[in-house]
Amino acid sequence: MLELKGLSVAYGSFTAIESIDVLVQKGEIVVLLGSNGAGKSTTFKAISGLEKPRQGEILFEGKSIGGRSPGRIVESGIVQCAEGRKLFPKMSVSENLIMGAYVHRKNKKAIKHSIKHVYELFPILYEKKENAAGSLSGGQQQMLAIGRALMAKPKLMLLDEPSIGLAPLIVEQMFEVIQQINEEGTTILLAEQNANAALGIASKGYVFESGSIVVQGTSEELLSDDSVRKAYIGA
Amino acid sequence: MDILSQQLFNGLTIGSVYSLVALGLTLVYGILHIPNFAHGAMYMLGAYVTLTMMLLWGIHYWLAMAVSVLVVGLLSVLMERLVFHPLRNAPPIHDKIAAIGILLFLEALAQLIWGADYRSMGTPYGEVINLFGLTVTMQRVLINVGAVVVMLLLYLFLKKTMVGSTIIAMAQNREGAHLVGINTNKVAMLTFLISGGLAAIAASLAAPINLVFPGMGHLVILKAFVIIILGGMGSIPGAILGGYILGFSESLGATYLSNDYKDIIAFLLLVIILSFRPKGLFAREGF
Ligand SMILES: Nc1ncnc2c1ncn2[C@@H]1O[C@H](COP(=O)(O)OP(=O)(O)OP(=O)(O)O)[C@@H](O)[C@H]1O
Ligand SMILES: [Mg+2]
Repeated sequence: MLELKGLSVAYGSFTAIESIDVLVQKGEIVVLLGSNGAGKSTTFKAISGLEKPRQGEILFEGKSIGGRSPGRIVESGIVQCAEGRKLFPKMSVSENLIMGAYVHRKNKKAIKHSIKHVYELFPILYEKKENAAGSLSGGQQQMLAIGRALMAKPKLMLLDEPSIGLAPLIVEQMFEVIQQINEEGTTILLAEQNANAALGIASKGYVFESGSIVVQGTSEELLSDDSVRKAYIGA
Repeated sequence: MDILSQQLFNGLTIGSVYSLVALGLTLVYGILHIPNFAHGAMYMLGAYVTLTMMLLWGIHYWLAMAVSVLVVGLLSVLMERLVFHPLRNAPPIHDKIAAIGILLFLEALAQLIWGADYRSMGTPYGEVINLFGLTVTMQRVLINVGAVVVMLLLYLFLKKTMVGSTIIAMAQNREGAHLVGINTNKVAMLTFLISGGLAAIAASLAAPINLVFPGMGHLVILKAFVIIILGGMGSIPGAILGGYILGFSESLGATYLSNDYKDIIAFLLLVIILSFRPKGLFAREGF
């Protein structure tokens, strides 16, 4: 479904990711692991069209999307729930969700339907629907960010460190919801530092180190790989 | 008492014009963080286009104003495309220099086309009427009503339509706007269109009670900057409230302090308000 072929991205003269290859099959959950500054978010930005690839190709459903505008990429079915959430802080929860369905703005009925679905996934958002997004707690903001991404009805959802800064219990719930979203038919590419939880729901993973992929394999392989265990699981 | 209410009405009238100009300025600032000095030139051109339409082709005042809104709005979009868009990744000082450059260029152009004379604009609404015991011209009533109508329409557009929401979304979080699929280029152009249109409306409403000349935008743009600074850069309620505060202070100051120094009041107000609220009356961030 998504294929990165020899993708490189640079900020000025600094190459943030170098010649990486990633393959995501339809229906999968794939995780990108890596410590701070390894290049996970940069990969996501390139897929979303926020940064232009320096080299290599991004193929989505067989078509090259590298260099397309962010808007076109959302329309073609890839939506990112970014690091730092990027919500509209002064808009209410429901307004944020409606903005999430921007690419479906002509279809009012579908929007209503999607909102209902998001409220079912995250009942707390329904309770807070009139509150400004900026007034929510960190965890609630993360749920809203995921909800907003869902509103675009993506085929592929990119989730950049959804567990960051959340209490362990909430992290667990978050991963359950991600799994549920996946079971409902959305393919998921996840960036995480919480390797244990992420590999628990993913089918395979890639380990980034300073801009390159150093290890890759199925979740079982990675969980039993010594270097991965040392670096990300602490065992 | 009579003088007071007369002056309050005057303040309201001047304030309406200031608010409209400041709104255009604050919209652009809120979205693109460009301090658009050239907005003063848009104001000046707005008056000239309306005047020319009326004199040259004898078009009715309202129709002339509509043409002016369109012409200046499109010119404003053109300015974004040709100047500010290519500078989007340059250091912020470049925007400022470019904006001042455009202002000077357009002023010289206006002088070339229309000459340096002070002109007056006629209005079909020159008659004097009695409004709750005040004697005022119809044109002044029109300025007040017109400004409120335009502000209401702008409010409804921003809050109730999807296209308007994209402007607010981009002001609140540019990357977030990208992520939901909003084309931020289009939003930037739309914002400049509205901004230019607002300047043209303000100038066309105000021209019949002022004079039209190439430098007419100077004082207006300076004061509009004072307004958005004291209202909070990029804040819409701040621009409206700030405009009226300045209008009232000026007309009261002109009567009770000194008419000659009324233009200083804006800057005194700036010093006083910023001493108490350094970020302006309304904090920024997304209107
Ligand atoms: N806008 C930018 N300009 C210049 N360098 C950048 C920019 N964004 C990221 N970088 C650099 O690119 C490298 C990769 O950053 P990236 O954000 O992709 O890491 P990450 O894997 O997402 O890390 P984290 O887990 O901390 O989010 C880092 O060295 C970072 O300093
Ligand atoms: Mg990151």
